[in-house]
Order: sequence, then C-alpha cells, then structure tokens
Amino acid sequence: MIDELQLPSYREQSPEVASRFKSIYERPVKLEVKGLGRTFNSNKGTVRALHDISFNVHRREFISVIGPSGCGKSTLIRILAGLDFPTSGEALLDGKTIFGPGRDRGMVFQGYTLFPWLTVKKNVMFGLEVSGRTGSSVEAEARSWIEIVGLAGFENAYPSQLSGGMKQRVAIARSLANNPSMLFMDEPFGALDAQTRCQMQSYLLQIWRNVDVTIMFVTHDLDEAIYLSDRILVLKAKPGEINEFIEVPVPRPRSVDQLLSPTFLATKKRLEELIHPEGTEIKELPVKRFVSADEEIE
Amino acid sequence: MSKFDPWLAIRKPLSPQRQALLTVVSFLLPIFVWCIVSYIPWLWHPDMVVTVSADRHDVTTVYSVGDRLPRHKESEDDFAFVDFVEDVRERNEEIQAARDSGEPMESSRRANKKVLRHLAPVGIAEGWLTRDQATDDTAIYTLWGEIARGEKQPSKVQLSQENLAVVRDNWSKVGAISETYDSKKIPTEILLNLIPQGKPSNPVFVPAPHEVVQTGIYDWTHQRDPDKPAMFERYGHSLTIVFSGFLLSCLFGVPLGILSGTYDFFAKIVEPFTDFFRYMPAPAFSTILVAILSVYDAPKIGLVFLGTYFQMVLVISNTTRTLDRSLLEAAQTLGAKSKDMMFRVIIPGIMPKLYNDLRILLGWAWTWLVIAELIGTKSGLTEFIETQGRFRNFDSVYPTIIIIGLTGYVTDQILAALRPLFFPWDPQHSSQKLNVIIRFFKWLTNSECYVKSEQDTKTLTSNDQ
Repeated sequence: MIDELQLPSYREQSPEVASRFKSIYERPVKLEVKGLGRTFNSNKGTVRALHDISFNVHRREFISVIGPSGCGKSTLIRILAGLDFPTSGEALLDGKTIFGPGRDRGMVFQGYTLFPWLTVKKNVMFGLEVSGRTGSSVEAEARSWIEIVGLAGFENAYPSQLSGGMKQRVAIARSLANNPSMLFMDEPFGALDAQTRCQMQSYLLQIWRNVDVTIMFVTHDLDEAIYLSDRILVLKAKPGEINEFIEVPVPRPRSVDQLLSPTFLATKKRLEELIHPEGTEIKELPVKRFVSADEEIE
Repeated sequence: MSKFDPWLAIRKPLSPQRQALLTVVSFLLPIFVWCIVSYIPWLWHPDMVVTVSADRHDVTTVYSVGDRLPRHKESEDDFAFVDFVEDVRERNEEIQAARDSGEPMESSRRANKKVLRHLAPVGIAEGWLTRDQATDDTAIYTLWGEIARGEKQPSKVQLSQENLAVVRDNWSKVGAISETYDSKKIPTEILLNLIPQGKPSNPVFVPAPHEVVQTGIYDWTHQRDPDKPAMFERYGHSLTIVFSGFLLSCLFGVPLGILSGTYDFFAKIVEPFTDFFRYMPAPAFSTILVAILSVYDAPKIGLVFLGTYFQMVLVISNTTRTLDRSLLEAAQTLGAKSKDMMFRVIIPGIMPKLYNDLRILLGWAWTWLVIAELIGTKSGLTEFIETQGRFRNFDSVYPTIIIIGLTGYVTDQILAALRPLFFPWDPQHSSQKLNVIIRFFKWLTNSECYVKSEQDTKTLTSNDQ
C-alpha cells in the first residue's frame, strides 16, 4: 500500500528539519563509539554479536537503535550502560572511556526492575541515597521527579500496586533522579499494551524536552523509533553491524497525527527495507479443506 | 460463591467459608476415626482386658486385672483369653468331680485366701473397696458374703451367672464356718476359682481419646514424681533445646548462605562440602558430640545445629540466587556499589523467601528434638515419653507427642500469619492469603469479613490511564 502512495525520499528534509540537524551536530559530542565489537564464545564456536560499531551521539539527542532480532542491539546498549564489556574498540562518554556501570548513565529495562520492597518515593531516592546523600533535600528531589513523570500522590504506593505503565514511569524517574548525562532504555515499553505504550511515548518526549538528558532507546517497533527519535541507528544481524544511520525527517514537536504523514511513512518504508531486505517470506501451508466451495471467503 | 458451586472443581479454589470448614474437618476426621476405633466394641478390639482374674493350676504366669490377652487364637502358640477361661473352667470341673466322688481335694488356707482375693478388683471397680484394700482380707471376706446373699450387685463389672454360682458355692463352704473373716477359720478344702472375665479392648498402644485427654490433663497439672521436673519445666527445656540449636544454626547459616548465593567464590568453597556433609545423618554424631560437649544440654543443641545448619546454608544460598538479576543490574546502573548491593538490594530482596525458608527449617529443627534429648542424659519431654513408654503408659505418651506437634504447628502458623505484617509490599501474601486458622476464627465471629472489598483487589490506577 505504501508503494502506491507517492512518497518523498526519506532523505529529503524540510529546511526546518535540516537546520535542526545542523544545530544538533553543532552541539558537543556526548557519546563516542569507536570500533566497538563483542564476540561470545559458546560451545558451538565464536559468535560475533557486534562488529566494528562506530558512531557519535550529540548532547540532548534522542537516538533509537533498531534491527532484526539477534542483531545485538541489547548487547550494544548493555555495553554502553556498563553491564557488559566490549571485546574490541571502546566507547567514550564525555571523553572518558566507559568502564563498568556508573551513575552518569541511567538505564530503564524492559522488565519491571523497581525494588518491590521500596515505595515509589524510596525507589526514586535509591540512587541519591547510595551516592551518600541523606536528608530532606533527597526526599524533596524525589518528590519533584515523581511529579515530573505524573505520579504525584503515589509516593507511598508499593510497585505491586501500580500498573505496568506507571512502574516504567517510576523507573524513568528513578534513573533521572541521578541526573545522568545519558539515559539508556532497553525496550522499556515492550511489555505494555498498545494504548499504554502510545501514552508512554508521549510522556517520554515531554520529559525529554524538559530535562537535560541524552537518550538512547532500543526498540523493535518501527513507529515508536520514528515517533521518538532524531536519528535511528539501524543494525543488521550476523554479525551485528551498522546498516544505516537514518536522520528522521519528521519535524518536531511530534504528535500522533504525524504517524500517517508522507515523511513518516517514507522513513518507515526505508526501515522496513533495511530490516526485512528480501521481504518477509511466508510459507504456503499444506491445503486441507473443511469448507465447501460455496462457503469460500476469498 | 453460591450454594450451587461444586465442591469438586478442577483447580478452582473453594469459597473461604468452605476452606475454613474443610480445615477444621481435616483435624476432626482423624479424631473421629480414633473415636470410632476406640468406642465401637465390635470394631477391631483384638484384645481382652481382664476384669476378673484367677490363678491357674500349676502355672506360674499370672494375669492380673488390667492385663491384656489376645481375644482370639491366631495361631497354636497363642495363649488367648478363651484358653485362660478354659483352663480355669477345667480346673473347677476337676474340683467339682472330686467333690462329687466324695473325695474333695485338699488345698491350703493360704491358697484359698488367694482365691478369695480375686474378688477384690470387682469391689474396687464399684468403689466398695479402696485401692489399698486389694489385700484387705477382712473387707474382701465381707464382700463375698454380701455378693453371695445378693445384698450387693456389681454393676461396673457384672459377674457372670457362672461366677455368681461360684461365689455362692464358695460362700456356702466359707460362710458356714464363720460369717466374718478369721484367718484360722478359712477351710482347707479347695475352693472353686472365679472364672476369668474380660472386656474387648484395643491394644495398650491405642488408648481411647478420653483416657489420653484425662491423663494428659493429669500429667500437666500434677507432678508424678517430685524428684523429677514438672511437665512445664520439661516443656521449657525442650523449647530451649530446639530454639537454641535453630538460632545457633541461623547465626552461621544465614550469613554464609547469603554469601554463597551472592559470590561464586563462597558458593564453590562452601557448597560442595556442605552438600556432602548433609548426607551424614546428624544422630550418627551423637556419641562424638557427647564426647566433646559432655552429657548435658550442649550436645543436644549441637545435634539440632548439625541437623539444621547444612540444609540451611544450601537452601538459603539457593534462595539468594533466585533474586531477579535485573534488580541487581538496575541497582548497578543507579550507582550502587558492592555494599549497597548486599544491604540495600540482595538482603531486603530475598527477605520474604528467607522468612519462609526459616519457617521450613524450624520444622526441621523440631524433628531433631527427640533424638537430641535422648543423647547424653535424657531430658525434657522426651525423657518423659521414654519413661512412660517403658511402663507402657501410652496414655501419657500421646499427650506429650501431641504437645510437641502442636507447638511446632502453632509456631509455624503464627509465623505465617505474621508474614504480611513484615512484608506488606509482597503481593503474594499481603491481602488474600490470610492464614486459614485466623480466617476461621474471623469467620466464626463475622462471616461478612470475607466478602472482598473492591479496594483490596484493584490496583491503584491514575486518572489518566
């Protein structure tokens, strides 16, 4: 259907979008990834999960990582968060090599990782408390973060009393409370239903606009990637390499109406081509009929 | 939950009322079976308990009142109650035959006095004689006369017609000489024996419920032997052994379990040996424990420790490993270092499971109690069980066993009921799984409390979702 529409090229940018990208590139480089590689040794031999990944992310940019399953997008983000390590190359945050997890890089996981024994407020205070801070200022800060993610009034609720979307918003607040320079998100809305996910995307954009944070977001949902991102890092599998780094031509501020705009669809079409290069192959099932010919539906 | 809901529905929980009801029934059912077995005479009752006894001619084995004999002859070697009766009856027939032939057998005054004394238990059962009067020949002599004349008719132990005839026959011989007891005036001509009587009974190791309850109450309110500790003292001692052993094992087992669940280093250096050691049964070490720790409480506590500690380390290290790894990763990305990870994530995270583990392990500790108290000098409730069991006072043994079981069970149920107080955040048990027993009492007082309120079940949701 997309083919029938006269779509512009996804590379065509309106003047506003072009100048926006120009200003992004003028900002200092936040994250510099240089020749990053990761191999796993299993009893079946060595698997190259990531191979020679290099890219830059600028301050306050919103980057999505997308790719077919098994392309190593989760591995990439885990290495950058410090939960895994590269077997070659390196990544620098603010010019310093990343080594191990740290409070300068927040992470929101796909599963719910709130500490179930702590209230919402205590969860948000966790990062501040382990950094050695105590007192009422910590609590006030936590409250303001809870307010920012729209959960004022739930400070004393336990995670088990919250819905999935609310849990993830607390997780975002908990990460942001540490004032990280980068926030990594590993399919954070993957477990949510479609409607909640849509809301969460809007919330995330609102939060991102008001907070000085650079976001790197892993997803397998094309719409989500386009809707949220400035640029989309498309990986390919076996080995995990950069396929293309797409500048999303959809102007900001984003709204749900843009989901059917020509630029949006053009980008989506390009992503489809990159992720399923030969189209999705559908095997014919063996025919066994249980209906008569006059009951044929197509 | 309507009345029409089936009682048997595959993998569907019953209504709380029904659950509570069934919980009570599950306790009543065994008690009911016990009552049926004890109180319905034609059910089982393989033995006869002797109510009227006799001495057999030329046989040294004596059956006194209260002794049990098999009711039926199962094999040739058995000496059943019927054989006992038959022996005595044959002897009486011989005596009668000798009398009929005009040459009555001679006996001694002493032997005849013994024959007369066999009526004493009948008098004691009726309350006509006190327990001390079992050898009071004067009182027994008077009783023979009274029963022979029909002035007294035993109702608790009803004498058979056969025995009433024996009483009258003997009295006609004895009473003719003297109406009152005079040891010189007992005839030397042989008297007839009372024919043994008995009633069906269960074996001595199955006392009836009322006997167990009565003896239990007696034991716990009276002191049988002033030289020995009272029941409450014994009970306190047993509790001390169990809890000391358990707490000691917690003191070492919990930290080590958590460490080896957290660090592979500790797991690899601790677990293989622990895994091996737990297959060596703790009681096997009893003599060694006594050699090291002398004979008093120390080796007993040591045995409970040995029996609990190794299981504890393994169970807790496994529990620690079940903590969701992503919680640890989340904590790391929030800047938590090793110490924070341990004290702010791992320990609070495993607490509810640890609590349950410790409940189960406390049950383990209980199972070691009896063996522990048997080593060295016997002590506590076990010593009582041992001693009474040796005297075949099983009606004293059962209450003690039941107390041990009840204490363990009640402790566990209380700990289970307290769980939601300690871990209000744990959704598994916070609201719905209120302890069944507490539930039952709540239901007795107010059955309305079970209709779940809306607030209990629904999660908090914000307006915008």
